Amino acid sequence: MKSSFLSNPQAVLPYPRFADVCVRCANCMTICPVSRVTPAFPGPKQAGPGAQRFRSPAEVSVDDWITMCTGCMLCDTVCPAGVPISAMNLLAKAKYLNEQGRKVRDWALARSDLYGGAASRWAKIVNPLMKNTSIRNLLDNVGGIDRRRELPAYERQTFLQWFRSRPAAADIPGRRQVAYFYGCFVDTNEPDVGKAVVALLEKQGLAVSVPHQNCCGLPRLGIGDFYGAKEMGSSNIAALLPLVREGTAVVFSSTSCGLMLRHEYSRLLHLPGAEELAPRLFDICEFLLRLQEERKPGLTFKAVHMKVAYFAPCHLRALNIGLPALELLRLVPGLDVHLVDADCCGLGGLYGFKKENYPVAEAIGSDLAKAVARIKPEMVLTDCEGCRMQLRHLTGLPVIHPLQLINN
Amino acid sequence: MKSFDLIIIGSGLAGLMAARTAVDRGARVLVVGRGLGGLTLFGNTIDVLGRLKGETDVAAGVENLARNCPGHPYARTGWEGIDRALQAFQTLFLPPDNFVGKRRENSLLPTGAGTMRPTFLFPITMAAGAEMIPAATLIVGFRGFKDFQADTVSLHLGCRGAVIPFPRYGLGGMTTSAVARMMEDSSFAERVGETIQQQMAGERFVGLPAVLGLRESASVMKALEAATGARVFEISLLPPSLPGMRIFERFREYLLERGAVFLLGKQAGEAIVKDGRCAGIVVPNAPLATEYYADRFILATGRFLGGGLLAKIDGIVEPLFHTPVVQPARRGEWFKGRFFDREAHPVHQAGIETDAALRPLSENGAVFLENLWVAGSILAHHQVIEEKSREGIDIATGFMAAERALSA
Repeated sequence: MKSSFLSNPQAVLPYPRFADVCVRCANCMTICPVSRVTPAFPGPKQAGPGAQRFRSPAEVSVDDWITMCTGCMLCDTVCPAGVPISAMNLLAKAKYLNEQGRKVRDWALARSDLYGGAASRWAKIVNPLMKNTSIRNLLDNVGGIDRRRELPAYERQTFLQWFRSRPAAADIPGRRQVAYFYGCFVDTNEPDVGKAVVALLEKQGLAVSVPHQNCCGLPRLGIGDFYGAKEMGSSNIAALLPLVREGTAVVFSSTSCGLMLRHEYSRLLHLPGAEELAPRLFDICEFLLRLQEERKPGLTFKAVHMKVAYFAPCHLRALNIGLPALELLRLVPGLDVHLVDADCCGLGGLYGFKKENYPVAEAIGSDLAKAVARIKPEMVLTDCEGCRMQLRHLTGLPVIHPLQLINN
Repeated sequence: MKSFDLIIIGSGLAGLMAARTAVDRGARVLVVGRGLGGLTLFGNTIDVLGRLKGETDVAAGVENLARNCPGHPYARTGWEGIDRALQAFQTLFLPPDNFVGKRRENSLLPTGAGTMRPTFLFPITMAAGAEMIPAATLIVGFRGFKDFQADTVSLHLGCRGAVIPFPRYGLGGMTTSAVARMMEDSSFAERVGETIQQQMAGERFVGLPAVLGLRESASVMKALEAATGARVFEISLLPPSLPGMRIFERFREYLLERGAVFLLGKQAGEAIVKDGRCAGIVVPNAPLATEYYADRFILATGRFLGGGLLAKIDGIVEPLFHTPVVQPARRGEWFKGRFFDREAHPVHQAGIETDAALRPLSENGAVFLENLWVAGSILAHHQVIEEKSREGIDIATGFMAAERALSA
């Protein structure tokens, strides 16, 4: 099912022609999770700078494999020449989809923020429906959403409802303010992550506010919908910029939302105000680690006697801030924490829900599952909601955000 | 702001060796790489001094070289320094995935070009290559795997060659990492082994491209040996080098376990220098530029490919600290008349001049920055390509720079 009216009318953004900067070293080919598991995707070197030389705005796209790129950005992190490979792929994908039209499914998945609230309200009905075999078969056959992929359950009370229902904290003058960008998934599906973030920040004596926010726009960008992504970005910048100008720091607990806000709003979308916002945006673990370094004595955490595995999401790597969650976890007394030796979970956000991508996502995920199995942990921790879904699907182990463990 | 004991700029073998040496001494280390570093470009084996002038003893060759060329990095480390550093390197690679070699002599290993090249240490998966007898050796390539031409290699080596179909794969599009990943599946490796066995005519050695697994290559080799009844060895390929990637991954795993922080992907942008000391470096990730501070710094950014040296119209510069670069007086003297000259082009001997402790020198001979040390191929007065000394210089000077930096 395709519809041309859903195509994004906006032309592909101008992007410097970086193709000739590539030195063909093939570092990207060693890390690309997709070309590692299937010959159908030629890999970042060919798909990015290689094919870029043959792309022209005036000609119809022929690179149908470009939709197989998950947008993990690992290629960018290993390139010694600074080629913006994933951005090239994304722009090529946008052009291809603009020409081919987007499936209704892709449009619907990328706008889950529009119906997430309603789904939460009706969680008692929606959740069983999402597990119903007939409905899953229908979604699979007609909708193209693979029946083997568990759909995430909605929570009856959203994070925002919980936050607003709390008794107002006493307004202590001079208390340092911090704003929390919680993201759609925490709001309707994993409010416990948000509650842990708020609790930890408040324990440090900070006043937490939750500014008005929309979806970060990354799912829209993932299907090459630059227009939709810009719309989301502009509204978020409008809400966050006044806070930042007052000196408030903004933290995020989803590494993918954070990457979008901090980097793509300016780098890819060129949104006004994005560059001013970026330096005041922090990954929550990065932020806590800074507090830890500033304060003497540092933060203290309750002991947890457990063996856990920590997996570093791709978009955390693209943030290029090291592994702050791992550093925090190492401060937890008694915790036996092991870094998972794998590069990508394979879910790629919405990518792995799509029927045609399911085998690729599974193959990539199988390497992750093996790497987790080697550790034999009681629990897996990771910063990204997509990775958490995939790890639950692959391992059957409890999988939570690192801060949920720290705040136990 | 984040503060470290030691910041290492460069994630090639020199930088990683420095990092490893420093974490072993309890230092808090930050490694800032550019992409994945140089190991996937060069690192197949550990060359120390492939070109000997009459000697067979590598130690004697090194001492002669140091005597004849007092500015050479080996003149700083001496054979003893190389030996200690290599021993430290080898402790990272425990059996079964260990490095081997003769005690003081080079071994000759076959290459993907069908030549024999001298090298000092090599992964155990290449060991049988040093002992192979051409008449008793079968060189095996895979149909559709373009990076290795078994016919050419076998023709040059005087062996028999065979090209076998690759189970599960269609023609074309096979990448090194995709093949290596499948090889880690034991049932797959067994089938490959059986297919090879059918091609054998009493050979006792089987040479394959270096694709025997991303991680546990020795066990892949053992599986193929069991299936073929022959001794199996890997042959170095074009980049990306999987043996190099295994070295990188082993270092990364070791360093992350010991609390080192890695920033890969973005090149350090500028140095913050005050009163003859480096205070910090700035790492850009658009639109942000983050400052990192440390007491000591090691520059291990490689040469032109690594970005350590920049060739400009009017001369060669070191772009990060603007350390003086020893170089030919005029651009016209950069190259010799013949491209394949036996001796290095003068441009390739350009680099950074240091004191005996590997601290860079100003033009007047004074120490350039009191808390900066230099390691790896960015050093002046060597001929890594002609001498075949790349990894030896990287490991020995990386080790020495870290020791000197931490004892200063």
